[in-house]
Amino acid sequence: MGSRVFGDRLELLSARSKKAGAVARITMKQQMAYKTDFIMRASFMLMILYVFVQLWSAAYDGDAGRVINGFTLKQIIWYLVFTEAITMGVPALCGLIENEVKNGDIAIRLIRPLSYIGYHYAAYLSEAVFRFYIHLAVGGAIAWLCVGPPTFGLGWAGLFSLTLGALTIAFLLNMIVALCALWVEETRGMEFVLHKLQFTVGGMLLPLDLMPEPLQRVCAWLPFQAMLYFPARTAVNFGAAPLLQQFVIQAAWIAVLAAAVMLMYRRGVSKLHVNGG
Amino acid sequence: MLYREEAPKYAKGAGQVVALQTQALRKVFTVKRKDAGLAGSFRSLLKPSWEEKVAVRSIDLTVQRGEMVAFLGPNGAGKSTTIKMLTGILHPSSGEAKVLGCTPWREREKLAFRIGAVFGQKSQLWYHLPPIDTFDLISRIYELDRADYHARRDDLIERFELGPYLHTPVRKLSLGERMRCEIAVSFLHRPQLLFLDEPTIGLDVVVKQRIRELIREVNRDEGTTVFLTSHDAGDMEELCSRAVVIHHGGILLDAPVDRLKREVLNRKIISLTLAAGYDASMLPPLPGTEVIAGEGRRLKLGVDLAVTDIEAVLGTVIGTYRLDDVTVEDPPMEEIIAHIYGTGG
Repeated sequence: MGSRVFGDRLELLSARSKKAGAVARITMKQQMAYKTDFIMRASFMLMILYVFVQLWSAAYDGDAGRVINGFTLKQIIWYLVFTEAITMGVPALCGLIENEVKNGDIAIRLIRPLSYIGYHYAAYLSEAVFRFYIHLAVGGAIAWLCVGPPTFGLGWAGLFSLTLGALTIAFLLNMIVALCALWVEETRGMEFVLHKLQFTVGGMLLPLDLMPEPLQRVCAWLPFQAMLYFPARTAVNFGAAPLLQQFVIQAAWIAVLAAAVMLMYRRGVSKLHVNGG
Repeated sequence: MLYREEAPKYAKGAGQVVALQTQALRKVFTVKRKDAGLAGSFRSLLKPSWEEKVAVRSIDLTVQRGEMVAFLGPNGAGKSTTIKMLTGILHPSSGEAKVLGCTPWREREKLAFRIGAVFGQKSQLWYHLPPIDTFDLISRIYELDRADYHARRDDLIERFELGPYLHTPVRKLSLGERMRCEIAVSFLHRPQLLFLDEPTIGLDVVVKQRIRELIREVNRDEGTTVFLTSHDAGDMEELCSRAVVIHHGGILLDAPVDRLKREVLNRKIISLTLAAGYDASMLPPLPGTEVIAGEGRRLKLGVDLAVTDIEAVLGTVIGTYRLDDVTVEDPPMEEIIAHIYGTGG
């Protein structure tokens, strides 16, 4: 009996994985059509990194050997490359869901034998991973030219292993805001606040180690650090914090945020007002 | 409801079963009310007021398997909202519904394997990719066996004549080509029940005709139940054996299409573009025909089919004027509904 239930669950999981894979593949194909968008984003990244290289070089007095709160100039610039690659990799989920609710396209998703959240997660992850690698390549090339090659050893393994969790947390945070579209007419204000929190207390612009002690203590209790700070800090400073501890914190936030997303979705979809036709 | 034909009997022993059944299905939306002007916007911001909008008042309906039912009504009558409740997209405010034995809003994913839906105003095809990619995605989502999928896909491609543009990005297809792809995709997983929400909206007469033929063919060959909403009476006339007309969220009429044609759809509109200007004195008296509009080179005639027929009217008109163009149409749904009210059902 137990083995049959286990077998059924395994089969269900396999079927869901295949569907998610198919959604991920078609999303990737569709991405190939947005070449101009990628060029624009890559150019923007080039500009941002150039500005920050100048800023941090001034802060370090151009001294490559100087260490500020455990970070050299090279580590800081590569840290920025990693946080920017993750941030710019995250697709605009809030606008997408809001539009689906507003123009009624959500109906097309809900007539399929597929979880609505699961569909968006598969599509999101495909797009986010693809964009992450593109931005990492562009940003990496700039950083390499400005501060030298990334000799981070195991830090790379830390980066790639923590990035999946980081992107998942970003998805869930964005989905929570996006699902508010089922109640309120406009989510752009909330999305703006979310992004600014990622930029600041998420450690996008500078590592949390450089922030005042009381703020660091607050950040430790927020999900944003698990999204940007963990993978980027681990990449440039492997061993500064136990990898396992960071995985556990990411997993805990994923569990909490996923529960919030499911609760909001179940409540929201029951009062859905599909517009138009 | 003004008129309703005797409820369809379940033919016990004849193998007929119910495809869908609803009981007092109702949907009320809460809509924010805003007064006009800037002051109204501020008032709405500080003290929002809400009002209830009844989209579907109460729908009691039974459709048997294999039936082709037209669900008609003017814009805002509640057709799409009803379909969305029956497909599990919307949760009703009250009432019950069973679709192929499932409660749609509670068993959405389970039901989705057995039904198909086409929303004429919404595309399920991936805009930048060719239709073949959407076919492949749908086959994975519906967990189709690969060999079965390929055979089914090839069959649909042949029937719907999709071959020439199967590998063309959707954004480059015409509306008619896209709609053929949309409907073919919705048949891929062999749905037992197909919901078509305005499948011919915006299409020209020839494409409309072709799409109707294809739907009829699949219904005949595969026994697919078709539940079609439209504000085009032609869809009903050519596809369905039964028509349910709704208005203001309630059923106004439920009758066989033949009877409807005889008693309600007994009027056609002939729109003519004349080669020269319209001269009323040239047109001889035509029994059962009224001039709705005649101005410049345009002439619009209303024909009562109980009194005369289209051929007779056209014969007289062609003998009188030189024509550039002729269109024969059904009267708009609003007129049909007014007629139903006028005749007391």
